[in-house]
Amino acid sequence: MIDYLLSGLGAAFSLAVFPVLIFGVLGGIILGALPGLTATMGVAILLPFTFGMEATAAMVMLIGVYIGGIYGGSISAILLKTPGTPASAATVLDGYSLTQQGQAARALSISAVASFIGGLVSTIILIAIAPTLAKFALRFNAPEYFALALFGLTIIASISSRNILKGLLAGTIGLLISTVGLDPISSVPRFTFGVMDLYSGINVIPVLIGLFAISEALNQLEKLGVKAQIAEKFSNKLMSLKDLKSILPTSIKSALLGTSIGAVPGAGADISAFVCYNEAKRVSKQPEEFGNGSIKGLAAAESGNNGVTGGSLVPLLTLGVPGDAVAAVLLGALIIQGLTPGPLLFSQNPEIVYGIFSSMLVANIAMLVIGLLGIRFFCQISKVPKLLMIPIIIFLSIVGAYAINNSMFDVGIAIVFGILGFVLGKLEIPSSPILLAIILGPMAETNLRKSLLMFDGSWAFLYERPIALAFIMLAVFSVWSTIRRNKKTT
Amino acid sequence: MKKIMKNIIVMAGIFASASAFTADYPSKNIRLIVPFGAGGGTDSVGRTIANSTKDILGTNISVMNRTGGAGAVGMSFGAQQRADGYTLTVVTREIASLPQMGLMQHTADDFKLIRMVNLDPAVVLVSKDSKFNSINDLIEAAKTNPGKVKFASTAAPNFYLIALQKDQGIQLNAIPYNGSSEAIPSVLGGHTEVTMVTPGEAISQLKSGQLKALGVMSKDRISYIPDVPTLIEQGVNVTSGTWRGIAAPKNTPDEIITTLGNAFDKAMASDDFKKFMAQGAMTIHNMDMAEFTQFVKDDTKSLSTLIQ
Repeated sequence: MIDYLLSGLGAAFSLAVFPVLIFGVLGGIILGALPGLTATMGVAILLPFTFGMEATAAMVMLIGVYIGGIYGGSISAILLKTPGTPASAATVLDGYSLTQQGQAARALSISAVASFIGGLVSTIILIAIAPTLAKFALRFNAPEYFALALFGLTIIASISSRNILKGLLAGTIGLLISTVGLDPISSVPRFTFGVMDLYSGINVIPVLIGLFAISEALNQLEKLGVKAQIAEKFSNKLMSLKDLKSILPTSIKSALLGTSIGAVPGAGADISAFVCYNEAKRVSKQPEEFGNGSIKGLAAAESGNNGVTGGSLVPLLTLGVPGDAVAAVLLGALIIQGLTPGPLLFSQNPEIVYGIFSSMLVANIAMLVIGLLGIRFFCQISKVPKLLMIPIIIFLSIVGAYAINNSMFDVGIAIVFGILGFVLGKLEIPSSPILLAIILGPMAETNLRKSLLMFDGSWAFLYERPIALAFIMLAVFSVWSTIRRNKKTT
Repeated sequence: MKKIMKNIIVMAGIFASASAFTADYPSKNIRLIVPFGAGGGTDSVGRTIANSTKDILGTNISVMNRTGGAGAVGMSFGAQQRADGYTLTVVTREIASLPQMGLMQHTADDFKLIRMVNLDPAVVLVSKDSKFNSINDLIEAAKTNPGKVKFASTAAPNFYLIALQKDQGIQLNAIPYNGSSEAIPSVLGGHTEVTMVTPGEAISQLKSGQLKALGVMSKDRISYIPDVPTLIEQGVNVTSGTWRGIAAPKNTPDEIITTLGNAFDKAMASDDFKKFMAQGAMTIHNMDMAEFTQFVKDDTKSLSTLIQ
């Protein structure tokens, strides 16, 4: 195994592969940073170009885009409050607060380092115990997904900042929105009013663009006229050694959580980032810092979403089943190369498997280096005058909302949610619970109904299946600890 | 006389301009609408055929994913585009099923069905340690315990399963998953007992022996899985599967359709395309416009009996 890894590393640094890898990571970061353009799209668009490439180079490029894409979304989340992908929505909570405090460079460096830790740890776990992790992942089915989604929804409490009631209100709005479209079990149209574009429900990405990017642009626009602005602070200082020490335990824990979540097909980087954020806040001695520029909160979200990258390859490589949309494209790429993803790959083409592993290690290093070197450049973005930046953000938002599905309807959705987010902001109702509920609502509903079908209408799956029971208990515990914390502060 | 001459000249002018319009086709980029998301099976077939055809036509073909409503949004969008040959659509079996379920306003009649590209049968799959070893074992179990055998369905409703259920008078407990990438792990993990997917969707689990095939729902055996008997061989006269093709809005001029049809014929015969389809265990099935149109008509009819 070590031999294969070393020769894989040799290959990753070879002239034929290394430039491709750097191209992939850099391209991924840029795609990820632009709202509406996701890693999945980048990988799918590049796929036909890999047909003529040698197998390792092809996989390396696609994996580079994937890893870079998850990280890239955080840059715009931190600097502009505009998460490039849903995976970076939890990054906004603390990352943007740090930017407002003039600490953008510090936040960006923490994000790069935490993402690196997340990616690195998850790659090591992938290399070490992929088959074991796959067995764990296979135990997940409808009841477990339902319980996981239910637990995920309790996170609304910890991302609602001051007022939990307002957070719950936002969560309910999100759940209501998530019911739009064809009913997932019997295909009955709900709240579609005969509009074909609503049949598949409201796409989460235009909602994300609206709630965060457009509503923030409207906010800035409103403040433009106000003279009594506090002078914009800006410090070039990167993170300190003390920062590193303080985020290291959180980052490693989040990386482990992220890897496990990634290994379960159907749960991805967006859910992982929120779960890790919630966990970091739960164990923190200063939970009140979260949402106001906590570096631990930022590191947890960042390490959590990049931790998924290694995990999502577990079902692909061990079972031949894609864990998420990106893995599905990677599966296609492997098949086109004449390879059979799944357990046979390890015995028949170990050089490919370990080539993938080593290139993931190198891609994570490349991401860290590009991320850190790029900070000076990225920070220029926050120095652009608001008068220029606001139209650029709105322009990119509209292009991004269109690009995700080539649909003007999605542009409309983004604008509606932009206005909604702006109004809710005025009422101090947080936006992130809406997003979380839109991501988790369909997961909870579909899997609850599937479970009831599987168990002939009996609810026994809630306590008979150990993993489901564990999540239910976590959910109860999460609600209970929030109530206790609230009582203490009031 | 003058008037007639004038008319002839005008007519000739119109004719000349029309033929000039079609003669230099294609003079700009062609857009191919894929009604499913980037990375899926329909998407990769669309992208590969676009890739193989662009050199033959000498113009770029860009793929545009327009997802939603199980393909309804993208296909309806494609049907409404200008009929100038610059917007084509990948059509799938859903164009025959969704309109009958009231889930799509446009039908196959809104298109000229230029070519069928591929036709894949469904394979009945169980986990490697399953007690079922033939399709008849499964049917037997479903007869003894109606509605108890858990079936991981890739879509709701699942026409592969309904075809078997109607023919055999059996009932399985169909649990709807979101495509084969969810249904297969469900069977691997022992949460459900059986599923039906196309050979390409399960090729790696079949090759590695994690899944066992009880039978393939085609008339003849499939070259990618030559050891798997058909259902017909086992005395169960049911076939089912799915297909994909390329279509243009119905008023597209015939000259353009001919140009495109010839180009797709060449592309489907190209080594690149054949290699891609073979790697994905997908079966190329080239049907010309007349055949394809008739095929869709027949399939629409057979689906209508299943939908009722």
